[in-house]
Amino acid sequence: MPKAARVYVRYVEAVNRVVGRIVMYLIFVMIGVMLYASFSRTVIGMPLNWAMEMGQFLLAAYYLLGGGYSLQINAHVRMDLLYGRLSPRKMAFTDTLTAFCLIFYLSTLLIGGISSTEYAITYKQVNYTSWAPLLWPIKSIMTFGIFLMLLQAIAIFFKDLARVRGEEIA
Amino acid sequence: MSYELITLLMFSSLMVMLLTGQRVFGAIGFVAALAALLLWGDRNIEMPFNATFQVLNWYPLLTLPLFIFMGYMMSESGIANDLYRMFHVWMGRVRGGLALGTIGLMVIISAMNGLSVAGMAIGASVALPELLRRGYDKVMVTGVIQAGSSLGILIPPSVVLVLYAMIARQPVLQLWLAGVVPGLIMAAFFAIYIYIRCRRHPELGPPLPEEELAEVTWGEKIRLLRAGIIPFLIFGTMMGLFLSGITSLVESSAVGATGAIIAAALKRRLTFRVIEDTTRQTLAISCMFLFIILAALCFGAVYDGLGAKNAIRTLLLETWDLSPWEILIMMMVSFVVLGMFLDDTAMLVIVAPLYIPLVIGLGFNPIWFGILYVITCQIAYITPPFGYNLFLMRAMAPPEITLVDIYRSIVPFVGIMILTIIIVMAFPQLTLWLPNWYFGR
Repeated sequence: MPKAARVYVRYVEAVNRVVGRIVMYLIFVMIGVMLYASFSRTVIGMPLNWAMEMGQFLLAAYYLLGGGYSLQINAHVRMDLLYGRLSPRKMAFTDTLTAFCLIFYLSTLLIGGISSTEYAITYKQVNYTSWAPLLWPIKSIMTFGIFLMLLQAIAIFFKDLARVRGEEIA
Repeated sequence: MSYELITLLMFSSLMVMLLTGQRVFGAIGFVAALAALLLWGDRNIEMPFNATFQVLNWYPLLTLPLFIFMGYMMSESGIANDLYRMFHVWMGRVRGGLALGTIGLMVIISAMNGLSVAGMAIGASVALPELLRRGYDKVMVTGVIQAGSSLGILIPPSVVLVLYAMIARQPVLQLWLAGVVPGLIMAAFFAIYIYIRCRRHPELGPPLPEEELAEVTWGEKIRLLRAGIIPFLIFGTMMGLFLSGITSLVESSAVGATGAIIAAALKRRLTFRVIEDTTRQTLAISCMFLFIILAALCFGAVYDGLGAKNAIRTLLLETWDLSPWEILIMMMVSFVVLGMFLDDTAMLVIVAPLYIPLVIGLGFNPIWFGILYVITCQIAYITPPFGYNLFLMRAMAPPEITLVDIYRSIVPFVGIMILTIIIVMAFPQLTLWLPNWYFGR
């Protein structure tokens, strides 16, 4: 494989690994926010109007920023009726053929994400709730997560291509 | 293009894409995005992203990572080992007792996690090696663990029922309560089956040798019962706060997750390594489910936008002229058939919005229908070619258990699940009694 592809794979995987291993700890933040919300409401008697949306935003950041890492550690199920019987090299070969599907889907997500974020910034879009948070920060985070996933999907394509040619790039 | 042709094209291209072995969410998302562009035009390139925004508004979905985390933390905490030992000592005298004990273990684990993954992890790592070492029949015990852990989606807390509740716009609490009795009935059927088989073929599940049982004193037997206290406390606190309305659904799941962390800390298992492993596995499983939901929502939106709801109603009610019960049975059969090829989460997101208005229109209870749906999901979890528990079993089973063993092991349990569906269908009050009693007080 050309050197550029190797360098690309190395850097993209490193970035996704770091991002993924940081955002995976957001689960504790989600637990914390929920416990604080119930404590504040029942014990102090002061309901929080932001807890629910904060939980939703945290979840979106959690799985979209973690998406690239989840692809990297092969967390996604496949229908393996036929695929499961192939040798690792043939698996890599079929994956290079179908990689464009994943890349196509992630690209449409990215295009939609960018235009939705642009809209949110231009019109200072807010949620229609009592907290009324601005939506562009979370939309930017979501879009960035999708971008990282797309980069990872392309990196996986390069890795599969290398495997088909009998090489390994880590 | 006619509606039937579009249906045929969308679903057949989906099947083909799934068969290529591409990641399920990638295959569904690709067909959905492409169909959006081709059928609806360029402006709909934003459709896939809009589905992510819909997910953002499904607040109860937060329970998904929290319950997954709770289940993994529980399996790492070593509580399962204590529980297993408890059943082992108390049930050891009976023929097939350890297999019966495993069913008991699975019921308790099901009450502390919302999917079947934690049950599978515990079953394959704690119970399976021990059962094999004791000379239990490998085909039988493989089936016990797969079928037993599938109870996780029927016995509360259940993430599948949370998802159904969001799609069907029904209260989660009613659905959870409705799952209790059918779940226990199914567990009882599993136990009866194992007991009868081991009576007739004692070599399938030999009792523990007398000398081993004699070593266990009554003091120890009583001490082992304490293993049941922690799970009982966690489940009791979580459900108690939820039932009394003190905490909301999502807050209760956070309470449960905290309970699991505290339990692990008390058992001195809360090392940095355990925290990291559980957190990473939680992210992996949550991402897998959430991306499938995301892609399926987009698929459903494109498909439903074509008027699928009315077309299905016309087909069933006018073209085929079926009676309500025939329609219900058709729906169940379609779940089983689709569930073989499609992930059941995706199936729920795509098919349920089409079926549920029809079910309500025909005068059936949507809560009861939800329970029927979850049992078909359980069947889908353990039947090839696409079943989560099958995947996990293949990944985790020791080498002496072959693929053929795994496939053979599920046959009697699928039979029991079908029997349970028939009973739940024939006697809706089995499902509805508990929620009606609770809300009627």
